[in-house]
Amino acid sequence: MNKIQPKYQASWLTIILVILLGGLLCWATQHDAALYQTPVGQVIKVTNQKKVSQTDNFHNHDFSQKQLLKVRILNGHYRNKVLQVQNTFSASNAMDQAYRKNQQLFLNIQKKANHKLQGTITDLKRDTVIVFLSFLAISLLLLTMKFSGFMALLSVLLNGVLFFLAIKLDVWLQGTNILLIFGILAFVFAGLTLFLVLGKTKQMLVTFGATILGTVGAVIVTLLVLKFTHEQGLHFETMEYVTQNPQPVFIAETILGSLGAVMDESTDIISSLFALHRETPNITQRQLFLSGREIGKSIMGPLINVLFLIFMADTFGMMVLYLRNGDSWGYAFTMNMSLGMVQSLVSGIGIVLAIPAASWFASSLLKRGDRL
Amino acid sequence: MSTIFVLVLILFIAMVLVGGLQGLKSFLSLAINFVLIFLTVVLIGLNFPILGVTLLNAVIILAVTIYLGDDNPLTTETAFYGSVLVMVLIVLLIVPIEHWAVVQGFGNENTEDLEGMSLLVGIKFLDVSIATTILSSLGAIAEAAIAIAAGLGEILSQNPDLPSARLFKDGISVGKQIIGTTFNTLFFGFFGGFLGLFIWFERLNYTWGEFINNKIFVSELLMILISFIGVILTIPVTTWVMEVKVRRKRAKD
Repeated sequence: MNKIQPKYQASWLTIILVILLGGLLCWATQHDAALYQTPVGQVIKVTNQKKVSQTDNFHNHDFSQKQLLKVRILNGHYRNKVLQVQNTFSASNAMDQAYRKNQQLFLNIQKKANHKLQGTITDLKRDTVIVFLSFLAISLLLLTMKFSGFMALLSVLLNGVLFFLAIKLDVWLQGTNILLIFGILAFVFAGLTLFLVLGKTKQMLVTFGATILGTVGAVIVTLLVLKFTHEQGLHFETMEYVTQNPQPVFIAETILGSLGAVMDESTDIISSLFALHRETPNITQRQLFLSGREIGKSIMGPLINVLFLIFMADTFGMMVLYLRNGDSWGYAFTMNMSLGMVQSLVSGIGIVLAIPAASWFASSLLKRGDRL
Repeated sequence: MSTIFVLVLILFIAMVLVGGLQGLKSFLSLAINFVLIFLTVVLIGLNFPILGVTLLNAVIILAVTIYLGDDNPLTTETAFYGSVLVMVLIVLLIVPIEHWAVVQGFGNENTEDLEGMSLLVGIKFLDVSIATTILSSLGAIAEAAIAIAAGLGEILSQNPDLPSARLFKDGISVGKQIIGTTFNTLFFGFFGGFLGLFIWFERLNYTWGEFINNKIFVSELLMILISFIGVILTIPVTTWVMEVKVRRKRAKD
């Protein structure tokens, strides 16, 4: 018992250090205005005016309200100057917001003829909240998972850098080769991630193969279905944030989106099969294949639900807006949810295909009686 | 035939071929979850209390995903209690974070999609974004809870007399196996879902400052980070539920 005591204290020390570091980071982002080129201001006084009630064509009741904000500039040329800006907001806050005292915001400042400054708000400064939550997630990951957490984090960071470079390349090529770029990127992502988690082992190669087979299989199925159904009921023009031909962007999004889930499924099956083979080296190929299927089918349902819920819940804002604008359920679904639905279905097909692929790869590689 | 119908059919056949009865049950859980998600958004559209509807449906979604995802009663019950507890913790994190970040509704990048629409619809979009964040984290939490509960159940069935202090260590080591791959599932989902948005940022030469403060980017990143924090919390919470259950059962015997 005595031995456990100091270990506990050490971990309390770590927790206190982590909290201190997190607090320091948040404090720093509260005071990083000097890093921005755009003027940043802090609200020091809010005066709300009267609410004006509003009713739209669909009998939705709302209000609009003006507020006058006294803002102190925190950076640049006009530092420490105080100016008055105006803001209008509604009850629903769909595209506006009510500002509160002490919030920091980005401003657009113009100097008028009489040397008075005039400012308009462009957006809220949100870096503190991003830093806070990322720090919370990363420290929880490292505290609970130690080294394997660090490797997982490293793989996401490296993948993020590659993703960013691929986007630069795509924009540089004017979006002409998006499928090729992100198809190759998917291979690199899978290889890099699995290498960092599993090292350069036989297990890594098998998992890589199963992941690629599952993803490529799902994409081929999708392309065939799109071709033979003539994309009936899909509206690629409804895709958000599209600056180039939407269909290839959609396919590329689908490939990347399914890749992680297919890799998840393959990793789980193959690591269990390798462990099984280590414990019972005399297991036959057929038994290995069947165990792979057994493991796979118990994971697939929950795993398909992971992406399905993310893709569906993400459309809620637009769905609510359509429904409140008098559109029918069917129309709202087609315009907002159908593409996310296709993405979840494709990743589902990839996840299911990965089960026989992973079981087959692992069982044909792990010879009976072999000791790895 | 519409594309979605054909893809649903292919997924159904594939799931039944590979998974048999379990495949059929998993497909059913997807179908029920779709109905629940759609029902939630329709009820929100009809001005029902957003958080009430969301939390109620969230518990049902967890139950459907978990009870149709596994057969073992010890696994499912532990996973269900664990995931509901984690959901409560996550909601306590989501509500203040969403108020802080103010990322509800739409950003400037949505302007084109919003043409001709009335935005004064009398629905609190902050609550809608809280609902989105809660629901999008459920799948990952349920998956992790099942994995932990099933892993611990397996260990307990091999060593029925395992002291409950050891159980915690085992829970963490089972957690270690799933956390890396779940991390990837979530982040690739994020990279994939927002490829278009990232291309937009690059094309229109957003600065780093504009990028990390952007309403849509921040809202999506918060969603993924919160799901991920939910998954990490699931490991100790589900292990704790298992430990309590084992202790009670031993006290009874």
